[in-house]
Amino acid sequence: MRVNFVLSEVATGLRRNLTMTVAMILTTGISLALMGTGLVIANMISDMRAIYYDKVQVSIYLSDDVTEEQREAIATQLDDSPDVANYIYESKAEAYQRFTEQFSQQPALVENTDPNALPESFRVELVNPERYPVIAQEFPNGENGVDEVRDEGDFLDRLFSLLNGARNATIAVAVVQALAALLLISNTIQLAAFNRRNETNIMRLVGASRWYTQLPFILEAALAGLLGGLLATVGLVLTKVLFIDRTLAGPIKAGIIPPVDWGVIATISPVITGAGMGLAAIAAYVTLRLYVRL
Amino acid sequence: MIELQNVTKVYPTSPRPALDDVSMEIDKGEFVFLIGSSGSGKSTFLRLLLKEDNPTSGTIKVNDKTLNTMSKWQVPKLRRTMGCVFQDFRLLRNRTVAENVAFALEVINKPQRTIRRVVPEVLEMVGLEGKAERLPNELSGGEQQRVAIARAFVNRPLVLLADEPTGNLDPETSQGIMLLLERINRTGTTVVMATHDYHIVDSMRRRVIELNDGQVSRDQSRGVYGVGR
Repeated sequence: MRVNFVLSEVATGLRRNLTMTVAMILTTGISLALMGTGLVIANMISDMRAIYYDKVQVSIYLSDDVTEEQREAIATQLDDSPDVANYIYESKAEAYQRFTEQFSQQPALVENTDPNALPESFRVELVNPERYPVIAQEFPNGENGVDEVRDEGDFLDRLFSLLNGARNATIAVAVVQALAALLLISNTIQLAAFNRRNETNIMRLVGASRWYTQLPFILEAALAGLLGGLLATVGLVLTKVLFIDRTLAGPIKAGIIPPVDWGVIATISPVITGAGMGLAAIAAYVTLRLYVRL
Repeated sequence: MIELQNVTKVYPTSPRPALDDVSMEIDKGEFVFLIGSSGSGKSTFLRLLLKEDNPTSGTIKVNDKTLNTMSKWQVPKLRRTMGCVFQDFRLLRNRTVAENVAFALEVINKPQRTIRRVVPEVLEMVGLEGKAERLPNELSGGEQQRVAIARAFVNRPLVLLADEPTGNLDPETSQGIMLLLERINRTGTTVVMATHDYHIVDSMRRRVIELNDGQVSRDQSRGVYGVGR
C-alpha cells in the first residue's frame, strides 16, 4: 500500500469538503465530550459510594440532655450487637469542627452557627446495611437519651439516584448526538465519494483493490473521529480545570465530593477518542458498502 | 481469449433483454469491431466483460477464467488484465499527463521505480513525448485520447476494450488513434472496439460483429460496416 498516495487522497478529500469536515469534527467532538462527562460522573459516583456507604450507614443522634450513663449504655449495646460492624462517637465539638470544615467556603453560615447547636452522635457501620430497622428498633427515638436514629443510606440512595439520573441524562444526550454525528459522517462520505467519482471509477477500471479505493474514505472519517476525540479531551480538561477544580473546590476539600484527578481524565480520553475513531471508521465503511459503488 | 455462451442480460427496468442469447469467441490477438445502433447491446457487452454487471444467464470466459463464478475480490485482478478507453477520455483534470498514466500504476501498487521507467516509454509510444507535464485541458481531443490509451495500455493488458474511442474526434485525428490501436494490437493485445464510425470499419477490414436488438446479426472476418451504405 502506497502510504503517501492514500494520505494525499485523505488530505484532498478533507480539504474539498471543509465545511462538512468541520461540522463532522464538531458534532463528533461534542458527542464524545458528553460521553466523557457521563463517564466522569459515573466515576465520581462510584468514588462517592466508596466514601459514604463504607463510612456511615446509621447515625444515632443523642438528645441535648443525655446523661453519661445513657451514653455508655448505648456504647455497650452497640458493642454487643451482632449487627454492628463498627462505630465511632462524635462529640458536639467534633461535630462542629467537621461542620466548619465542610462549609469552609461559606463563612457566614459557620459564623451564625452556635457550636452547641450540633448534636453529638454515634456513627454506626452495619454488617449488613439492610438491617437498619433492627437498629432503629433497639434505639427508640426520644428514649434513653436517643434523639433520633437516621438511616443515612436512605438519604444516600436518594442522592445517588439523583447523580445516576444526571449521568444517564448526559449519556442519553451523548447517544443522540452520536447518532447525529454518525449520520453526518455517512453523508460527508457519500459527498466525498461523489466528488471523487472520477478517481474511484478509474481506480475500479484499472483494477485497484477494494481496500485501495475505500481506505482513503475510511481514514478520512477516522481522522475526523480522532480530531473530535481530541476536541472532547480538551473539553474534559477545561471542565476539570474551570468547573470541577474551581467551582466545586469547597465540597471537594470538605470530602463531600471526591476530587476528579488527572488519572481519570487520562483513562477516559483515550477511550472516547478510540471509540470516536472506531465508530466513524465503521460508519464510513458501512456507508461505502451500502450507498456507494466503489 | 473471450468466450460467451448463450449470454442473456435482462435489466430489471426493461422488458426487452439488452443481450439475447449471444454466443461468440474472440481469439487472442484479434482486432474486433463491435457495431450496431444505439441500444443494440454494445455497452452491455463491454460491461459484462469487465464484470461491472453479471449476465442473467449464460457463461462468460475471459482469459480462461469464468466470470460468473468469480468472487468479488478477484475482480480487480481480472481488470488488471484489461484496459479500457472511452469516448469521453475520463482523465483526471487536476493531474498532468504523466500523473494520469502513473495513477493507473500507483493504485495497483506498482513500485515507484517501475512507474518512473514505464510511463515515459508508453507516452513515447502514443506520441506524447514532451507533453508529460501538461494538464489534460491543455491538450487537443486526440491528444487526450492518446493519454487515455497510454493509461489503458501501460499495464500491458491482454485485452483492450474501446467504447467509441473516436466518437468525439474528427476523421483525421480518428485515423491517428486507429493507427495507435493497430500498433497496440500488433503487440499481441486483443482489441475490441465498439464504434459507429463506418469509415474506420470499412477502411480497416477487420472482423466485424454486429449486434441488433441484443442479438448477433452478423459476424464477419474482414468485414465492412454495412451493406449498401
